[in-house]
Amino acid sequence: MILINIDSLSTTELQYIAQQERLEDWQTLDREELIDALEEAFGEQDDEVYSAQKGKIHRNRFCNSLTDYRGDKQNLSDLPGVEPLPETYLDTSIHLLLRDPQWAYAYWSISPASRQMVFGEDGQAPSSLFLRVQETRIESGEVLSFDISVDREDTQWNINLPNMGSSYLVDLCWRDRKGNEMSLAQSKRVETYPAYWQKHSGELADNYASFLSNFASLVTKEGEIVDNPVIRDLAQQLCKGVL
Amino acid sequence: MSNPSVAFILNAHLPFVRHPEYPRFLEEDWLFESISESYLPLLRMFNRLVHDKIQFKMTISLSPTLCCMLTDPVLKERFLEYLERHIELGEKEVVRCTKEQPEFLEMARFYLDQARENLNDFQDRYRGNILEGFKALENSGHLELATTAATHAYLPLYKDYPTAINAQIELGVQSFLTTFGHLPKGFWLPECGYYPGLEESLKYHGISWFQTASQSMLLSPDKVEYGTYRPVQCPNGVAAFPRDFQTTSLVWSNASGYPTDRNYREFYRDIGYDLPMEYIKPYIHEPSLRVFTGYKYWAITGQTDQKVPYRRDLAQKRVADHAKNFLYNVHKKAKTLEGALDKNPVFTLGYDAELFGHWWFEGIDWIEQVFRQNAENEQQASFVSPSIFLAKEKDTLQTVRPAFSSWGQGGYSAVWLDGSNAWAYRHIHKAIERMEELAVRFNDQISLKQRFLNQAAREVLLSMASDWPFILFNKSSTEYAQKRIDDHLKNFNVVYGNMCKNAVNTEWLVKAEKRDILFSDIDYNIFNPER
Repeated sequence: MILINIDSLSTTELQYIAQQERLEDWQTLDREELIDALEEAFGEQDDEVYSAQKGKIHRNRFCNSLTDYRGDKQNLSDLPGVEPLPETYLDTSIHLLLRDPQWAYAYWSISPASRQMVFGEDGQAPSSLFLRVQETRIESGEVLSFDISVDREDTQWNINLPNMGSSYLVDLCWRDRKGNEMSLAQSKRVETYPAYWQKHSGELADNYASFLSNFASLVTKEGEIVDNPVIRDLAQQLCKGVL
Repeated sequence: MSNPSVAFILNAHLPFVRHPEYPRFLEEDWLFESISESYLPLLRMFNRLVHDKIQFKMTISLSPTLCCMLTDPVLKERFLEYLERHIELGEKEVVRCTKEQPEFLEMARFYLDQARENLNDFQDRYRGNILEGFKALENSGHLELATTAATHAYLPLYKDYPTAINAQIELGVQSFLTTFGHLPKGFWLPECGYYPGLEESLKYHGISWFQTASQSMLLSPDKVEYGTYRPVQCPNGVAAFPRDFQTTSLVWSNASGYPTDRNYREFYRDIGYDLPMEYIKPYIHEPSLRVFTGYKYWAITGQTDQKVPYRRDLAQKRVADHAKNFLYNVHKKAKTLEGALDKNPVFTLGYDAELFGHWWFEGIDWIEQVFRQNAENEQQASFVSPSIFLAKEKDTLQTVRPAFSSWGQGGYSAVWLDGSNAWAYRHIHKAIERMEELAVRFNDQISLKQRFLNQAAREVLLSMASDWPFILFNKSSTEYAQKRIDDHLKNFNVVYGNMCKNAVNTEWLVKAEKRDILFSDIDYNIFNPER
């Protein structure tokens, strides 16, 4: 937070503070007089401070007083009853956010009860946690999956999504010492759609009108291309295959 | 010969920053700089065009948080104080430059005059409410005004929370209605953030069109006929106007855009940083924190520290050149597309309003020149607003599903979801879930509990603003952004914790209501998923 130097306050602000501090004749004082009067008023509160230190401390007290002059000394978030944010929450859940068609971000939390179930009351059970990413190809309905091992302290992970044109969900799973696997929580699905022109780049290359209206519009005359990995791939396909 | 249309859309938005508990607050300057350097000069430019009977049409989205701040008595008073300080500094600068740096005198006078003009316009012309200026230009048919999400949330990252998406859109529409007296037709998608299906909520709230990122067409699962050169309609009938990358880049490109011209004013050289501390101290922040004052005297010059003094005459010549070049490019592109398109192209340009005037000092002059030169040209481009275009050509639009996209780095959500800001979503999503829970458990409360729950809804919405993760990503005012997310969520938890105990923390509530004056008629039941 920024505290204010008295010299930087406008005359209106100084008058307001003088009024708050109940300075006599504050309406009649000019800017310099207001500053002097306010410094004097606050300076009197520092009488017991050694003169060598007075300037510094005086300024600190002055700034604090100025900052608080409207009576709202405490920030809202410093009031009684306002607690720090917890690092995690007491439920078992996993969320999946689509960052781009190649990456998703997962975060999760595990409740104390679930944690006890997985790692035992003493926390020593040799169980392990992993993420099971389930991919469903949108066109064929084919379902694939792969696992990612995570530590018990982990609460988030960036997940690579291997294919566009698939939907993905992720299970937060655990494996006990016998190798039994169970899901603790499942995320909602995220979907990635294949672009028509990705699958029909030949058509884009063969048809000048399509090329001009769809692809060329995303490249400046200086050769700057719109910032997007899929479009860069498409550009490479076009370069290799046709141009 | 094809007759191109140009849809110019500006997004005027700032996050809600209001700290009456401090006599001056650094981040409130974002608003004051934008009013001084962008919004008031834009209004003056529009009014000059109206006065000279130059035909023009633009679309401006004014965010609910910005509208709230622009009409807040506390911030208006502080803006006047800000102007007073700027005028005082300008007067000192004219004296100093006359004696010491005569090469800067012209610009010192220019800034001083602009500050005085701003004061006159703000006090006398608009009587403290510059939104009246935009409203008048809408009434005269020169502007289309649009709305955006309540707190400018980046919506794709809240896709799993339909109540939050709905609240952002509904309050965006409501706020517009309250401010401008009618419903908006257009909705600026914050950061051009679109995900398939978002149009359903927009349609539900009566929205006819929104804008999208350039790549939303090429990446569509459908075969798009006109690329970014025509708007499309989503399967539910709501129109999407994709930004035209090439035309937009004439301004937008960091490498070759017009604002990079060596004769234009250098944004980053400011007397707030250049002049001795004892001179500049009254106009910067405590403790001796150097900030921009707006008094900037150097030209971009090139990639060198050895800048040359800014010359307004040279810059104005380049403004005219760049306006001419822009119109030339528009016509040249239209000509090139003649064989490829069987309809006239529409070039949609979307920018932050604050780019013009604040970041690109000459940007407002450039817009003016574009309209003036176009009016003088034999062959004119049609400047259209999306609604006017749709009124004429809605039936000609191709039905297309735009692709998930944004205008951020990489074209998706990477800016708002990376290592610097991903931590926040765990807490914001939880707050939304808990807000839904509160709205179900305590539906239709009255009196103090109603106010308490309404404040909880405000805190959730404020935590969702796209500005905070952007600032964290961009590493600018990270401490403030982090604190804002943190504070809103902690404050939300005050309500959640108390309501679970059937209690109300009145001290907190009164202070919170006093600070967060936005969405005064919010109804927390908006978060009830059963509604």
